[in-house]
Amino acid sequence: MTSYLVRRIVGMVVVILLVLTIAFVIVRLAPGDPAALMLGPEATPQDAVELRARLGLDRPILVQYLTFAGNALRGDLGTSIFFNRPVTEVLAGRAEPTIFLALMSLAIALVIATPIGIWAAYRRGSWLDQGAISTAMLAASVPSFWTGLMLQRWLATELGWFPAAGYGGPDADFLERMRHLILPAIVLGIVNSALILRFTRASMLDILGEDYIRTARSKGMPERRVVLRHALKNAAIPIITIVGLTFALLVSGAVVTERVFNIPGLGNLVVSAVLRRDYPVIQGTLIVVASLYVLINLLTDLLYLVVDKRVRY
Amino acid sequence: MKHASKATLRFAAPRLLAALVAGTALAGPAFADTVNVAIVGEADTFDPMMSTKDVVSIVTQHFLETLYTFDGSWAVAPLLAADMPEISDDGLTYTIALRDGVTFHDGSAMDSADVVASLERWLAVASRGKGVADKVEAVEATGPLTVEIRMKEAYAPLLSLLAFSNSAAVIYPQETIAETMTDIVGTGPYRIVEHVPDQYLQLARFEDYASRSEPSDGAAGARTQAPDEIRFLPVPDANTRVEGLLAGQYHFADGLPAESYDRIEGAEGVEPMLLRPFGWPVFAINHKDGLLTDLTIRKALQAALPMDDMLYAAFGDDNFFVVDGPMYPEGWAWRSEAGTELYNQNDQEKAADLLVEAGYDGTPLRILTSRQYEFHFKMAEVAKMALEAAGFTVEMNVVDWATLGQQRNDPALWDIYITHSPFLPEPALTDLYAPTSRLGWSEPEKDAILARFTTETDEETRRELFGQLQEKLYEDVGFIKIGGFNALMGHAAGLEGVTATPWPFFWNVTLD
Repeated sequence: MTSYLVRRIVGMVVVILLVLTIAFVIVRLAPGDPAALMLGPEATPQDAVELRARLGLDRPILVQYLTFAGNALRGDLGTSIFFNRPVTEVLAGRAEPTIFLALMSLAIALVIATPIGIWAAYRRGSWLDQGAISTAMLAASVPSFWTGLMLQRWLATELGWFPAAGYGGPDADFLERMRHLILPAIVLGIVNSALILRFTRASMLDILGEDYIRTARSKGMPERRVVLRHALKNAAIPIITIVGLTFALLVSGAVVTERVFNIPGLGNLVVSAVLRRDYPVIQGTLIVVASLYVLINLLTDLLYLVVDKRVRY
Repeated sequence: MKHASKATLRFAAPRLLAALVAGTALAGPAFADTVNVAIVGEADTFDPMMSTKDVVSIVTQHFLETLYTFDGSWAVAPLLAADMPEISDDGLTYTIALRDGVTFHDGSAMDSADVVASLERWLAVASRGKGVADKVEAVEATGPLTVEIRMKEAYAPLLSLLAFSNSAAVIYPQETIAETMTDIVGTGPYRIVEHVPDQYLQLARFEDYASRSEPSDGAAGARTQAPDEIRFLPVPDANTRVEGLLAGQYHFADGLPAESYDRIEGAEGVEPMLLRPFGWPVFAINHKDGLLTDLTIRKALQAALPMDDMLYAAFGDDNFFVVDGPMYPEGWAWRSEAGTELYNQNDQEKAADLLVEAGYDGTPLRILTSRQYEFHFKMAEVAKMALEAAGFTVEMNVVDWATLGQQRNDPALWDIYITHSPFLPEPALTDLYAPTSRLGWSEPEKDAILARFTTETDEETRRELFGQLQEKLYEDVGFIKIGGFNALMGHAAGLEGVTATPWPFFWNVTLD
């Protein structure tokens, strides 16, 4: 177990170092000048040259990389060109909406997907099974921005049940901020429920065909107990895997949904940072997201130990 | 304990959900006199000397002020200056009396030392300031409330530059001035309370504001500070701005798509606001390098372009554009018809003949454009078809705005780039005419007219000279104005007193 953990942590460090390097190279390969963007359309080329020098963007690439990598390893992700604040501070400010949005949408996805997935597997071939599969296909196929726009127009603009966009103003308390996340969470919940539903159904179908399930039934065990206690418990590992991956994807930023609902989370930040060519923020976001992704995967693997005592590392 | 937790959860969960949906029951109180303004994006900086972006101007004009401003008819009017300056007969010395009793947000009184330090910084760091710096001999305080600007040569646009909120000559307290401004303290009617990047900028009424006493007229005259608070909310997605406006979340929304006009007009509680005209799209021409350094090929380009088709493709509804050649719209003092017979020729045969005359060898004409502004791209698509019909080989380079901003600084990479501008109150505020701009449009006769235009102080003569400049623009194809276009904004029906301008301000609005 200890050696497994050490191997995984070393692997994590290697992945993060690779991401750090790739992030640095990619953002500089992309054309575009943050200085010219900041100065606006009437600024002269000379103005841009002077601002680039002030921002340290005129230094040799290797010097910039070594400075960046050295600082990043000490936990300093640099200073945002656009916000003129430490990247860690900028990222921390964006974590709250993204994490709560991920949690809320995952909860919605699980509430939709798990019971329907189990029921669809249990009633394989029935109209409910066919309907569930078709609906899941539809939910996965419809782009999230379209669902977002429709719900925004219907539930926010027409009915006034939810805020149309944003994350609350200066006087918004925690509940008010969460209220701003409901609509985007429903959108993401619908989209992600499709995948979880299909995995739940497939996993349950495998298990329900096992000999020990037949044995349990032949012993007269109630169906509810057979399905929820014996089958679901053993079907849990693939479901946990997909839930873990979904959560990691959500935390890494639901870019389109955050954009449509103007949620100031990590997804929105990274899009803005790319458009602004805010190199340190792009790099910092990629590093943090990669770290979160790897960490959530590790936690998911460790969760197997809790769910299934037979699992050994 | 276990039972208690479950019961609590069972009881609390529906209440929490109900509260989340009901919202206001548990939300903090909203200010009755808070105006929520949805703007197109985050301001890059709150130091307007350092940016020529409109969104920076819109926001910062509420807390930072200039010596002069523009009234409703775009004439220069005093703001922090007590009155219009005394200008010496030779046009070289501007004596500016400052208003007494103006205080900064930090409580200090504004005096000539603050103005001199601010103007010196503007001349050193602002794009527009640097453009005039070589013409300025000195800026000096000649009394506690008097400043003198001495010029090396007469420069007529000076007052417009000092009045403009874009790359603005704002006045800071001397002691806060630094290369990079971190402490933004101004004299404006509102002061910064809190800024959460990409979420909101909260401004509150500055209680010690010294308003002018004249009636409000455009940005000039009294600034009544009617709202308690103004909140600028960056909302980059145009559709989200529309939905937020219709949902009652924003009292004002800037930069709305033309397609949303009917929906806003038909909705209760909101009103569309059309800024007619807002500005002009332009094909900027590379005079430094490449195909269009040849005048005959430039004339072929000019002859081929179908402006009406391009504008229709770009804006879809003639409520939103006008096919108009003069550089200024109807009703502006700068309006002239000189040279406009060459506008909107839509004559591909003439263009083909000109290409033959120029010995055009099929070298691709490179159009650099972006989909950041979809109308740029649509105009380019129609232009491409017309130019190809005339015999041009056209190469479209569609990039994001950041890339365009960088590539247009390298003359080797483009022949035309597409941009747009609002109609500016003074022609000299755009650098497209200047030989030093990135276009590099230099022609002896035009340069001479431009030099006279910027040094002439008589307004009538300046208008005549601008007519000549426009004629030269068409003859020499310096750059190509495609037409005029309108901008759509929207506001809550209860919001009164918003002026339709490219840089809307909210100090005089009331909220019913």
